[in-house]
Amino acid sequence: MSVPVNPPADSALQARGLAVPGRLEAVSLDLGPRELVAMVGPNGAGKSTLVQALAGLLPAEGLVHWNGQPLSRIAIQERGRQLAWVGQEAQFEFAFSVREVVAQGRYAWGDDLSGVEEALARLDLTHLADRPVTRLSGGERHRVGLARALATEAPIQLWDEPVAQLDVRHALEVLRLARCLADGGGTVVVSLHDLRAAYRFDRVLVLDRGRLVGNGPPHEVLTAALIRDVFQVQATFVESLVPELP
Amino acid sequence: MKPRLAVPLLLALLVLTFLASLAFGELRLSFGQVVSALAGHGDEVARTVVRDFRLPRALVGLAVGAALGASGVVMQAFFRNSLASPGLLGVSSGGALGAVGVLAMGPLLGFTTAAMWALPLASVAGAFAATGAVLLLAQRGAGTERLLLSGVALNALLGAGTSFLLTTTAGHFEVNAQILFWLMGGLESRSWEHVWMGVPAILAACALLLPLGRAMDLLSLGEQSAQSLGVDVRRLRRQLIILSTVLTALATAVAGIVSFVGLVVPHVLRLGFGPDHRRLLPYSMLGGAIFLLACDLVTRTFPLGLRLGVVTSLIGGPFFLWLLRRPR
Repeated sequence: MSVPVNPPADSALQARGLAVPGRLEAVSLDLGPRELVAMVGPNGAGKSTLVQALAGLLPAEGLVHWNGQPLSRIAIQERGRQLAWVGQEAQFEFAFSVREVVAQGRYAWGDDLSGVEEALARLDLTHLADRPVTRLSGGERHRVGLARALATEAPIQLWDEPVAQLDVRHALEVLRLARCLADGGGTVVVSLHDLRAAYRFDRVLVLDRGRLVGNGPPHEVLTAALIRDVFQVQATFVESLVPELP
Repeated sequence: MKPRLAVPLLLALLVLTFLASLAFGELRLSFGQVVSALAGHGDEVARTVVRDFRLPRALVGLAVGAALGASGVVMQAFFRNSLASPGLLGVSSGGALGAVGVLAMGPLLGFTTAAMWALPLASVAGAFAATGAVLLLAQRGAGTERLLLSGVALNALLGAGTSFLLTTTAGHFEVNAQILFWLMGGLESRSWEHVWMGVPAILAACALLLPLGRAMDLLSLGEQSAQSLGVDVRRLRRQLIILSTVLTALATAVAGIVSFVGLVVPHVLRLGFGPDHRRLLPYSMLGGAIFLLACDLVTRTFPLGLRLGVVTSLIGGPFFLWLLRRPR
């Protein structure tokens, strides 16, 4: 496979032959700005591994470019301004307040605190801002992690299963926020298990046993055949109950 | 409690315990006598007692307490666990084995009182060897858990070595007693040599640690998230391990094994003033110094031959239990 030296000019997040031995096989992809990307796949398919490798948080083989620059040439502090990552785990050992944790998103900007209150408001956390994070529910802690990522104002946002623990309204709000960030010029990658939600994204990445087996618009990728192969379930396209934000 | 009360409160307590350390002992002095003795006035006996004996002892105590308090904060942030303590990676056990080795070799080498510098040097060497060994053992992957388990294993190994030396010297009563005394920590007969040995380097390490507080905040909530937010986690972890080792090694070298300070002081201050490391670090340095000086005062006040390490645990242990029982 030939590896292009320069990524396409409009590529925000690019991977070539990105691999983690035993967990992820040579993934190549190009994600643009203004793109809302869903990542789906069964448990253990390598979604978290791919997200972490793209974020530069895992030793991996292959090349990653952010906004056209090779990751190895981006200083660590600058990385904190360009890409935000939200992990699946949201455990906080120490009793920082919600506001203090969200303000950590401004570390790479010299702790200037700009946008912290807005990030709190957008994740519906203003009323919890002074509460210790150790006294939050699992879903609330996940929203704190998302608010911290939002506060970084990073154009590339990688969220690993952000809605798995959220109630219906907050889950919908998080997905609407993701759409909003993408419409504002960002590149937002969200891993999730809800295929119906994924169907509304601009692009879907499907992972199966460490390989990228689908990459494209949802109506092209999420076919009944692929869903059967990857998830071993029958998929039918019907009208059903669809919760919406008012 | 309001964080802005912390600095005046801790500083006042530090001045009080420090002056008390200069005033109390076999020769009781008033604070006024202490101040004039420090200034070089007043009665000659008081001057000698304060300037040649109590001042170096208090300075060593202050530095040792600050070092253990700071080192405790570092280990707790590093391992994201408020139960971590300075000795977790085997630093104090290594220091103990080094010092005990020198003491045990006294009869073999033909001296019963170890040379002034040999003991702390051996202790520092042992402490660094232990940290080096842990880092080597945990090198591949260098994950937090592997590091922790390597520390546990090394602590057991070094503790066994110390116990072995303790039993093999059982026939030499004086040597044996020296070892036991050293293992229980103490500040008696600390001289200006001990001050020069430990205090400047401890203060320097504390000063280098203070600017890392903000990055420690992020590290304490997760390595990957800290890295993604712009913290150079590998570099930070290296800095923290080195500084914490220097602090614990020097504290152990000049005062023996003093347990519980590094665990209980940061814990209490975090409960009182919150987990922000930019504040918790300096507060724990002050708090460690206060706690150590206060415990040393107790060892002098009760003529039971109480050792410093025993007092820190005797006071720290029950207090800690009471703290844990409180509803949060």
